[in-house]
Amino acid sequence: MASQRKKSKGENLALRYLILGGWALFCLAPVLWFLSIGLRPRTEIITPQPIYFPSFSLDAWHMIWSDWPMGQYLRNSVAAIIGSVIIDLVLAIPAAYSLSRFTYKGREDIGFYILSTRMMAPAIVAVPIFFLFRNLGLLDTIWALMLIYAAINLSFVTWIIRSYMLDIPKELEDAAKTDGAGELRILWEIIIPAILPGIITASVIAMIFAINEFLFTLLIASTPDAYTMSVALSNFTGGSDGVIYNAIALVAFLAFVPVFLVVVAIQKHLSRGLTMGAVKG
Amino acid sequence: MARIELKDIQKSWGAVKGVSDVNIDIEDEEFIVFLGPSGCGKTTTMRMIAGLEDPSEGAIVMDGETMNEIDARDRDVAMVFQGYALYPNMTIYENIRFPLRMRGVPKDQHDAKVRRAAEFVELTDYLDRKPGALSGGQRQRAALARAIVRQPQVFLMDEPLSNLDAKLRQAMRVQIKHIQRELKITTVYVTHDQIEAMTLADRIVIMEKGAIQQIGTPDQIYNDPANTFVAAFIGSPPMNLVEGTLEGGVFRAPGIAVENLSTRHSGQVTLGVRPEDCTVTGIPTHLSGTVYGVEPTGDVTYLTVKAGDKLIEVKADRDYRATLNTPETVTFDLTRIYLFDTATGQRLR
Repeated sequence: MASQRKKSKGENLALRYLILGGWALFCLAPVLWFLSIGLRPRTEIITPQPIYFPSFSLDAWHMIWSDWPMGQYLRNSVAAIIGSVIIDLVLAIPAAYSLSRFTYKGREDIGFYILSTRMMAPAIVAVPIFFLFRNLGLLDTIWALMLIYAAINLSFVTWIIRSYMLDIPKELEDAAKTDGAGELRILWEIIIPAILPGIITASVIAMIFAINEFLFTLLIASTPDAYTMSVALSNFTGGSDGVIYNAIALVAFLAFVPVFLVVVAIQKHLSRGLTMGAVKG
Repeated sequence: MARIELKDIQKSWGAVKGVSDVNIDIEDEEFIVFLGPSGCGKTTTMRMIAGLEDPSEGAIVMDGETMNEIDARDRDVAMVFQGYALYPNMTIYENIRFPLRMRGVPKDQHDAKVRRAAEFVELTDYLDRKPGALSGGQRQRAALARAIVRQPQVFLMDEPLSNLDAKLRQAMRVQIKHIQRELKITTVYVTHDQIEAMTLADRIVIMEKGAIQQIGTPDQIYNDPANTFVAAFIGSPPMNLVEGTLEGGVFRAPGIAVENLSTRHSGQVTLGVRPEDCTVTGIPTHLSGTVYGVEPTGDVTYLTVKAGDKLIEVKADRDYRATLNTPETVTFDLTRIYLFDTATGQRLR
């Protein structure tokens, strides 16, 4: 009886691994597919017959680094994204603190107004934003990208952080007040450490949105000085060389890797963060 | 360390009145307990003393200085909260040190003060732990250490023991009283637990529906209740309250007749008698009824007698036993009978 139970438990575990492994493979398939295309010779990709045992080639890898300023694209992406997340946090944390902790007339309306900016179709504001940045002399600069990514993400970063702040017991702030702390001290020493998982969650989501942003980047960046990975991808299509599929796949993979690494590094905080805001502990 | 005066304190949120007409003088070094059921306004009153709530009307005065306009962080009070409110990201050492940093105490004094406070609550072995790694009792002691570390003028304690089990609560009660006596700091303590109030307080303030019902020493509150609320709230089991009529010094209710009461009042009254002032005699004197329940507890047996439709609790001898629904008679100690106006609930003297 016991051995039967043991056996069925083992089978159960194997089934679980099978299902989870299958799901993981399904999720990773596009990434692996990119990588496999990126590491094959160009001729093999465009052949009409399926190739079951592809050959390995670093042609595309050499090409993207020698023919294109890929290093600069990567640097631009990283700088614009990190800059935008910093701007978002600097603005969103005090805003969320105010929206979650102070009582004043119109507080809920202001909160909703902040969120509503996210509901607008980006194309509607594309032209005004182009003229705005042109007049500011910021076209084709990383600064413009930082500002525009920050503006796009600010509303939901504020709301995510606000929801975490609402979960913090009021007693903690009351205790800090009677201990002699002022509002800024409370925010810096008590609130921010307590909602760190929420700040990390909001930052990662903002990073993912920013790295995938294409419309405004294309509008603002016109030279490699401000091109990011997402716009760089479009450089491999068309032109005298035709569509360079293996290079596109490799660049897409490169754009994916930094976000993937960040998420793996902070996985523990992220999973805690995604649930902490929703359920009161 | 400080004398606190609450003068005509009112607190309302729109049409909702939280606290009304609170007037208390709290003496220097006094241990005063606000006692009452949930929602009676005791915590709100304490939060107003702390500066965490503003009174709608009235004045809070500490040592002659009106505190209404002074921020919580600038009042020299320390508060212990029901949920401990330890900062989860800091170690116990840092938690205890936090008020010293905030109040600008010179850095070279921090370590000695933190260690002394931790020693006071026997927590020195846990200073490098985070609050999450401590038990409930240890967390509560850490919260106490954080409150005493800078020797404030006033301690405020908001149901600090309510999350602890009964045994630990008793031990912490003794510790709190010891610390307060040792440090001689004026203390305001909020609780709904009458045992805590009776054992800790120099004076008890009983509150209900935002208003003070009675202020007095534990003995005064127990032996000389001002109204039926106080009479029923203090004592376990609570005082028996029986509505009836009073005529010529004779109180009558179904199954109950008490003669020779020295009172000039008459009409509809409520008679109060504590279970320990009732005796099972076997001779028909004041109450004749039937046995409704017998609860032996070891050192005492609680007998419930049904008289009319009223259940009267009697603290009987430890060996007392009886069969249900058999007749039983009870005698009251006439020197410990209380009379209240049935309409207002106020004591008739």
